[in-house]
Amino acid sequence: MADAVKIGILYSTTGPYGAIGRDSRDGAEFAMDEIRAAYPGAVEPVFIDPQGHIPDYLEGARSMLREHGCRHIVGTITSIARKEVIPLVEKHDGLLWYMCPYEGFEANENVIYTGACPNQHLLPLFDYLLPRYGRRPYLVGANYVWGWEMNRLARELISKAGGEVLGERYLPLEETAVERIILDIEQRRPSFVLNNLIGPASYAFLRAFRALGDRDSAFLPENCPVVSCDLSECELDEIGAGVATGHFSVAAYFDSLVSPENLAFKAAASRRFGPQRRLSNIFASAYAAVKLCGETIVAAGTDEPQAVRRALSGVPLSTVFGPVRIDPDTNHMALPFLLGRINDLNGFDIVNAQPAIAADPYLTRRRTKTPVRLRIVS
Amino acid sequence: MRETPNFTGWRATILHRPDATTDRLTRQLKLLGLHVSVQWEPLASTDLPDIVLVDADQGWDDLLPWHDSKAPLPVVALLGSEAPGRIAWAMEQGAGAIIAKPVAASAVYPTLVMAVAIHAERTVALRQLQHLEERVRLRPLVHGAVQKIMAARNVDEEHAYSILRNCAMQRRFPMEQVAALILAGAEPLPEAG
Repeated sequence: MADAVKIGILYSTTGPYGAIGRDSRDGAEFAMDEIRAAYPGAVEPVFIDPQGHIPDYLEGARSMLREHGCRHIVGTITSIARKEVIPLVEKHDGLLWYMCPYEGFEANENVIYTGACPNQHLLPLFDYLLPRYGRRPYLVGANYVWGWEMNRLARELISKAGGEVLGERYLPLEETAVERIILDIEQRRPSFVLNNLIGPASYAFLRAFRALGDRDSAFLPENCPVVSCDLSECELDEIGAGVATGHFSVAAYFDSLVSPENLAFKAAASRRFGPQRRLSNIFASAYAAVKLCGETIVAAGTDEPQAVRRALSGVPLSTVFGPVRIDPDTNHMALPFLLGRINDLNGFDIVNAQPAIAADPYLTRRRTKTPVRLRIVS
Repeated sequence: MRETPNFTGWRATILHRPDATTDRLTRQLKLLGLHVSVQWEPLASTDLPDIVLVDADQGWDDLLPWHDSKAPLPVVALLGSEAPGRIAWAMEQGAGAIIAKPVAASAVYPTLVMAVAIHAERTVALRQLQHLEERVRLRPLVHGAVQKIMAARNVDEEHAYSILRNCAMQRRFPMEQVAALILAGAEPLPEAG
């Protein structure tokens, strides 16, 4: 390759989900530096920071595709930003690498999804929770499609399980007045709380819930846990050490994961970011996405999106999540399910783990009942 | 709350010349779990699929085996043209939703969900309409039976009507049916209650 292939990195490091964006960008930068060290002159990043403003995502993507000649963009955090950027990526026949957990119901040819969708997070989470904590949850969520759709699905799962949703409330990302919701939860006394809030709203909620547990033991984490599908290490410091101890979150990666891939990953990351740095699912996902993108481009000798997609699809890929595959039909990555319980050191103790689950973004396989197996009686 | 729509195992027929549009549609429909066939010839009225996606830009009248918007299954129109005549053609075929061409992948699932829901609504509305039409048609029988009860039992119209209604409720028949039986003499005249 004569000129370095440019790869766009589109994350907001400020704004309500800035903590997530900073970790994403660090993970992406880390991967990019490794690729550039291994293959000097092969790839080059183009960083643009939309600072949480939706119009700036579109402008950033436009600039990457038109002015910088990028055909690959790794980025966007929220579904609103992803949906905003996709039509432009389609128009330029580029490839968007999306690596956050999301609500599913999408499978675009111009997107590689390395973040989990509900059959990889919410469904196994409920399989774990309902028998242990009960079927009467309270649902809270961010006031946009992530919160709405996750809670709609939760309601469907609860109703199928014969349970009851005791309440459902929404807050904008930056709203921290959570008292009325906490009061409502205190009165209704759910068996657990599904937290689909994002950013400051989520952090304020967890702090207030801690105070509720302090005055009423029914709301201690062991009795009524708060469970999230996206809360990660990089956000726990914003909440405060020990504040969210005992509550749960789902991820494909936790810093505490003991695996050969992770031990090597952590050793390399600690040389760069220091031994104190706790890595998150978001950091690892951005790292994995950039690594896959860059290394596939180098191996294929082209950044032509069709060729890159073909080279990636269906073959075993070694990632920090372990060996995984990207489904050539849905463009989604299979991902392991890890359930972590927050500890006093703001890390996660892994309490349940399942090997890589193939993504089913439209939940088409969910109700396909497995036939009753007849026992052979000899 | 509506249940998450699931099209696994459904059969879809795309009536469109095979090209990039049908490729893209086929890909998206398959990953939604549908079995897809593409043809550019009239749909046979036997062995119908579960849903039809039809090219409204170039479709002609005999492409679909039904008329007067009375589609027996959900229909999606594939439309690039904005010509009123083509939109009208799509509606005449019974289309409940449109996918604009060129097809955006993100349009397919929402359109299926909407076309299926609209078809179900239309089916229910049509059934209700037929039921109500039947009742209106039989209204003279009710009137006749009320007159007969008024004369036989020497009661006013309101009373006669309530006798008839009670009789229908007890027998769990529609009033029209009881009225017809009474007029035909097949049913003993109910006592004044």
